[in-house]
Amino acid sequence: MANKRNATVLVGLSLAAVAVIAVWKPTVLIYGIQAAGLYASIAIPMGLILGIVHIVNLAHGEFMMLASYATYMLCSATGMDPFVAMVPTAAVTALFGFVIYRLTIRQALKAPELNQLILTFGIAIAMTQAVNLIYTSQTRKLSFEYVSASIDIGELSFGIFNFVFVLVAILMVVGLRIFLTRTTTGKAALAVGQNPKGAAIVGIDVDRTYGLVFALASALVGMMGALFITRSSIFPGVGSPFTMKSFCLVAMAGIGNIPGILGASILLGISENFLKAFRGLRGWADIVFFVLIITVILGRSIRGKKA
Amino acid sequence: MKKALVILVFITMAVSVFAMGDKEGTAAAGSAPATIKIGATWPLGDITGKQGSMAAQQAVDEINAAGGINGHKLELIVIDDELKADKGAAAIEKLVTVDQVDVIIGGMASGVALGQIPAMKKYGKVVVATGAASYKVEEALGADANWYFHLHPWDYNQGQSYADGWAAIQAKYPTIKVGRIFLAYEEGAFGKASFDSSKVLFGNAYTFDGAPFKSAAFGGGDYAAVLDAAKQYKPDLFLWAGYDADALPMLEQAKAMKFNPGIYLGAPPGWPADFGKSPLANNVMLYGMWAPAVNDISPASKKFYTGFVAKYGVEPATYFAPLSYSAVYIVADAIKRAGTTETAALIKALEATSYASPLGQTITFSPANIIKHQGIRNQKILQWQNGRQEVIWPFESATSKPVYPFPAW
Amino acid sequence: MKLKGSYLAAAAATAVVVAFPAFLGAYPLAVARSIMTYMALAISWDMLLRSGQISFGIAGLFGLGSYASALAVLRGGMDPFTSILFASAFAAVMSMLLGLAILRLRAMYFSITTLALMEIFKIVIHNLHDFSGGPEGVVLPEPIFGGSAPALFWLCMAGLFMTIGVSWYFEKSKMHLALTAIRNDETSARSSGVDIFKYLLIAFVITSTLQGMMGAIQVQSYGFTTPDTAFDANFTLLPLAMALLGGIHSTIGPMAGAVLLGVASEWLKLKIPYGHLIVYGFIIILVILFMPQGLVGLARKTIRNGRTGVRHE
Repeated sequence: MANKRNATVLVGLSLAAVAVIAVWKPTVLIYGIQAAGLYASIAIPMGLILGIVHIVNLAHGEFMMLASYATYMLCSATGMDPFVAMVPTAAVTALFGFVIYRLTIRQALKAPELNQLILTFGIAIAMTQAVNLIYTSQTRKLSFEYVSASIDIGELSFGIFNFVFVLVAILMVVGLRIFLTRTTTGKAALAVGQNPKGAAIVGIDVDRTYGLVFALASALVGMMGALFITRSSIFPGVGSPFTMKSFCLVAMAGIGNIPGILGASILLGISENFLKAFRGLRGWADIVFFVLIITVILGRSIRGKKA
Repeated sequence: MKKALVILVFITMAVSVFAMGDKEGTAAAGSAPATIKIGATWPLGDITGKQGSMAAQQAVDEINAAGGINGHKLELIVIDDELKADKGAAAIEKLVTVDQVDVIIGGMASGVALGQIPAMKKYGKVVVATGAASYKVEEALGADANWYFHLHPWDYNQGQSYADGWAAIQAKYPTIKVGRIFLAYEEGAFGKASFDSSKVLFGNAYTFDGAPFKSAAFGGGDYAAVLDAAKQYKPDLFLWAGYDADALPMLEQAKAMKFNPGIYLGAPPGWPADFGKSPLANNVMLYGMWAPAVNDISPASKKFYTGFVAKYGVEPATYFAPLSYSAVYIVADAIKRAGTTETAALIKALEATSYASPLGQTITFSPANIIKHQGIRNQKILQWQNGRQEVIWPFESATSKPVYPFPAW
Repeated sequence: MKLKGSYLAAAAATAVVVAFPAFLGAYPLAVARSIMTYMALAISWDMLLRSGQISFGIAGLFGLGSYASALAVLRGGMDPFTSILFASAFAAVMSMLLGLAILRLRAMYFSITTLALMEIFKIVIHNLHDFSGGPEGVVLPEPIFGGSAPALFWLCMAGLFMTIGVSWYFEKSKMHLALTAIRNDETSARSSGVDIFKYLLIAFVITSTLQGMMGAIQVQSYGFTTPDTAFDANFTLLPLAMALLGGIHSTIGPMAGAVLLGVASEWLKLKIPYGHLIVYGFIIILVILFMPQGLVGLARKTIRNGRTGVRHE
């Protein structure tokens, strides 16, 4: 009961803080939420893999990078729009993710966690460097008119395209929730995630489920990779910073808590942009991310101890 | 229990690998005294270093095809510095002690150069550097490093040349008025150095301010905050110092925020593939050392460009290609005049260098703030016009007139 | 049993390494220094891993040590060699304070927190322009010992030997039992009276000190550092990969892994100038897939001649 009251107070306080910021510095809120959408939609697939297959995929950002290159090639060759190209890209990356899973990660599932971690680290290096050899480190970017779509409110003009990523993140959260709670496969996946041995005993094919979840997460990453090229340049190293960011966000939300990733992203996005709004504090904006992660993790551990 | 044995096996393995390398080197040096060896380090995984090394090889092949230097063939030995100081330093040690090169060229990142300087100082071999813009490198070299020939402008040289350039442009084209300058700089070493030197050089003549941003090259790519600050400042000249990954996204975000300065200028080390094809790119200005347009005014550039495209089937994408090409020609020319690769004579010959480079200017060496041998001092001011980079300033290398103001979208 | 032979071989190996400068040129010595630095980091990381705690903060402590040493020389006028000791002590104190807060965390949450701390150190150094030199870094007047190749080699070697010594002590002493007990079953370790927190703190402080010391040695050897050099993520990831490829929970494993990856990376680079890192990535993948126990595990298996290996000794 006390927990519930605490939560209500917390939500109330956050809403009040958001309201104050919205009136005083509306751009902080706008840009913060836009940034959060991007963070969350890249982190959610990683959260899915970590929650069910229990693997930290250090090649997560590289999967996205590869999907971005595939989309770039497709779009520049055929003139297709990335919002259309994301369908074939997602299909291809799903297959690619499944193959990578069967060939490598599956073999290391019984090994200690660390082996899986370093395995995916090796995969990340090989993928980045192969792309670097083929396409060089020169960045690539296609121009799309709609990326600069904007809205004027009085004196204020701001871009609205990045809200697309907020939408994508919400769709991912809702879609995954429906998948995991309403479908047979999804329920099986959730059971495997909570207790693989128990799931195996009741007759769920754990190996098939892992492969499926890996393919699904890869498809989502592939989709994000396709959309990513609308707003960002791509180059071989473009994915790796997002691996760490996603990993931190997933840990902040707590393993298995997919809606939490969206919440954590919004908190971080707004706080980062809050610091950026002040001259002299701009250089410190990055620190918020890490301070918040440590605070949340330590806070949770202390609360866990009390309970 | 076998642990120690395992260590021994590994140590023997490691030692033998490098001892083999040692032998190869000395054997080659003994049997073929006629080749002149140029050693080079670049980051081969980066487009700058990759194309720099390709262009240097092109120059070596051209010189050899024309009969070499005083009958001696040239040989280029390139080692990847992997953009890491320790790897770069080890590469210098290998070039000097194992490959026994006569001259060292190359370099890109200042952070790697700082790691290499102690090794370079130890051997005192002639170095013709194609990179390293940070004044920290010059401080680390000190005034005694008379064997160090620095082709690339120092950060303060570049800042000075921009100040000169804008003064000259305003004098020649009275419609162009620059009063307020805003610099958006990436928060790393490159951007911070640009900001510091610009603040000094522009601070007096102009109203100047700036703000940092996290480059997309390092996982950033959100320019809303910095563009917001720039927009409020209402600059005549908006300048950004970042990487090629920032070029188009920043432009797109500026458009979305209706930020429309009279001059929109970028200073990345290279530009994205096909930047010119974007409708937003037209009339964006840039700082740079070279563009294919220089072919129109410089026969050396034309020769370099057609040779590069014929040999490799791609366009040179960064100025590190013609710069590295120049480094080889400058070294070859000096050795030819000195008639030897002996250090003191070579330094003397290099000091007398006057090379009409593909960069569209003649390279000579003169003292900088600390070191004695500084090559190029200025960058050029260029402008994207109809998908092509045209030189606007210096006027003697100009290929086009500036279009002003930057068109509203 | 064969204890004597083993000590003899170890002494011989030590003697060979100490004598490296007598018969190796400057280039192999430079490569050896880089391998030894990574080796020391890999061993120190493994020492904490023996308790089950996976740290992602190696680069953070390495960088902290680098900057503590460089700034002690530049701002405090300290003698370079003393500054290495100072940096080690600084890393010890910092890790003690941090350890008190974060060693209650387990598994991934501990890892993430160490990673986040590393980023925080880097951002702080980045932003304290006037004191730390900012993103452009700091340049020392000259490398320690005038940059003499043998002296630098021996300095780095001393750091490595100290790490190996501590690691062996960890293997032979009460620490070994305590850390293994914590790793295998924390609850029963606690109920059998092991003061878990104390041992974790000791292990964390000691390994952090060693990592800080290696950072200080590195900065004094090259005479400069920048935030991107000192806090390079490779200082975290490569030691992990090396320890795993060699075989974890031992001293010899990380050493073997460091030699394998260190030599491979340098050799590949000379043979395949463009694209050598692809092969490097594949080496990591293949070793993990086909030698899940690392090189040392494979060697043990071979020695046992076909009998199936045991995961934990």
